[in-house]
Amino acid sequence: MHFAAIDWLIVVVYLAASVAIGLLGKKYIGSVSHYLVAGRELGTHAGIATLAATEIGTITFMYNAELGYRYGFAAFAAALISGIVMIIVGRTGLVIERFRALKLMTVPEYFERKYSRGLRLLAGILVAVGGILNMGVFLKIEGEFLTIVSGIDSEYLVAVMTAILLLELVYTVVGGMMAVVITDFIQYVLLSVATILVSLVAVFHAGWVDIVAKVSDTLGSAGFDPIQNPKFGVTFLVWQVLLWFAIHTCWQTTAMRVFSTRTPEISKRVMTWTGFIYLGRGMLPMLWGAAALTLFGLGALDNGVPLPVVDGQTLAPIDAMPAMLASILGPGLKGVVVAGMLAATMSVNSSYLLGWSAVISQDIILPIREQMGKPALSSRSQIFVNRLANLFVGLFLMFWGLYYAPPGAVYLYLNITGTIYLAGTFICVIGGLYWKRANTSGGYLAMLMGAAGAIIPFFFLHWSENVTGFCAFGLAALGLVLGSLLGKRAPASLAGAT
Amino acid sequence: MNPWLAFWTVWLVIAAISFAVITAIVMVKGYRDLRSMFSRLAEQRTHDRE
Repeated sequence: MHFAAIDWLIVVVYLAASVAIGLLGKKYIGSVSHYLVAGRELGTHAGIATLAATEIGTITFMYNAELGYRYGFAAFAAALISGIVMIIVGRTGLVIERFRALKLMTVPEYFERKYSRGLRLLAGILVAVGGILNMGVFLKIEGEFLTIVSGIDSEYLVAVMTAILLLELVYTVVGGMMAVVITDFIQYVLLSVATILVSLVAVFHAGWVDIVAKVSDTLGSAGFDPIQNPKFGVTFLVWQVLLWFAIHTCWQTTAMRVFSTRTPEISKRVMTWTGFIYLGRGMLPMLWGAAALTLFGLGALDNGVPLPVVDGQTLAPIDAMPAMLASILGPGLKGVVVAGMLAATMSVNSSYLLGWSAVISQDIILPIREQMGKPALSSRSQIFVNRLANLFVGLFLMFWGLYYAPPGAVYLYLNITGTIYLAGTFICVIGGLYWKRANTSGGYLAMLMGAAGAIIPFFFLHWSENVTGFCAFGLAALGLVLGSLLGKRAPASLAGAT
Repeated sequence: MNPWLAFWTVWLVIAAISFAVITAIVMVKGYRDLRSMFSRLAEQRTHDRE
């Protein structure tokens, strides 16, 4: 066991305080808009905290550290693109400004405003499937992180996963976005402190000069040059630009923060400043990965990179970073860092639970009910349906997380599962907002061809992630253009949604 | 020096400094934001009850 009594104390106090504070959010829930978009009352700084906390989790640290371990400094390209694209979206207001002005609660809701209820339903199903599959690997990887750093026996991995999930469910189900916003703020502060501490300690232990030398010896110039690195290259970089534009504008959990801000102007400021945080969100954990390679990269070669060896035991590259933290952090500091990582885990998972369950309830269950001719649900009943959906997503994640192991680097798995719906959604949203000819036929084709372009090449043809990504976005764009040109023109009454 | 290494070093420094500075600002101003948000929501609730 690597944890001292002081570390356990810090972690338990954090968990108890976090859940208790999260439950305070319940008293502000008066309507479904309070539950899902915090009554659209978020200001700039709270908005930055909740957006950053939502998109920085233990899973983020793990996959970015894995990228740093496997590909060295060349991996920084992915972090740079994610940050710069977010700043551009914030400065220009691309999509987000109009989304906020439309007062949406979910991304698929836009599809009913611009296209049709049927397309909203299809988008809702794809968003929910892609999003939940994407989140499906979170729990297992987070559980691995905690068991390795704390030294808990790996046979307790399932128990650790269950405990994390239950704690998140308690306040998310009860307090919705109100609880998530409050806890996100505390969690953002803690995870940021932990990020800065770990970065300093990792560089201190591994040494900057040694990190550079190890990356250079192991990977050569491919460890620095993303164009020369065989895993990346120009296709990867262009796909990442497309993907990050789609994520920052149409990813449900990110978009919910945009919908929750007080004004469109605030949503742009939140996005711009969070873009700078995104640079550190990627690059700092990638640096930890490179430090772990320097300290523990001594094993047999795996795709040209030595596997990490810790205390005579060979680990997977993704486990090198937590093993390094277990080794270099002292008592007390380890407790603070693990509390910070738990904070990161809980903020991401609670927001994602809320995001995907909102889509299931608002964009799948409620439209189906209306289609069946049933009366509209009251706000209270909608909140109840949301809570049930939250529980359902939580249970699914437990089972999926236990039985599915992603092939290759986790970052790329997450990118591809996200692309299942992002390709079609992004193209439909851009077409809907900025191209008058875009219509429902084009929307259907874009969603279906985008999803097929991600699923078939990756899961059945085993094409590379880069080619799969291009294929999905390309097919979605082709579908929208073809369907819109061949189908009926959109009626003028939908102009408000364009 | 490898030009790519110089490039990534500059961006790493920018990323680390902006991460730390924005965190400090958000810690202070985010708390104020939340307080005013909840007071507005509490006012709305009172107004709705009346």
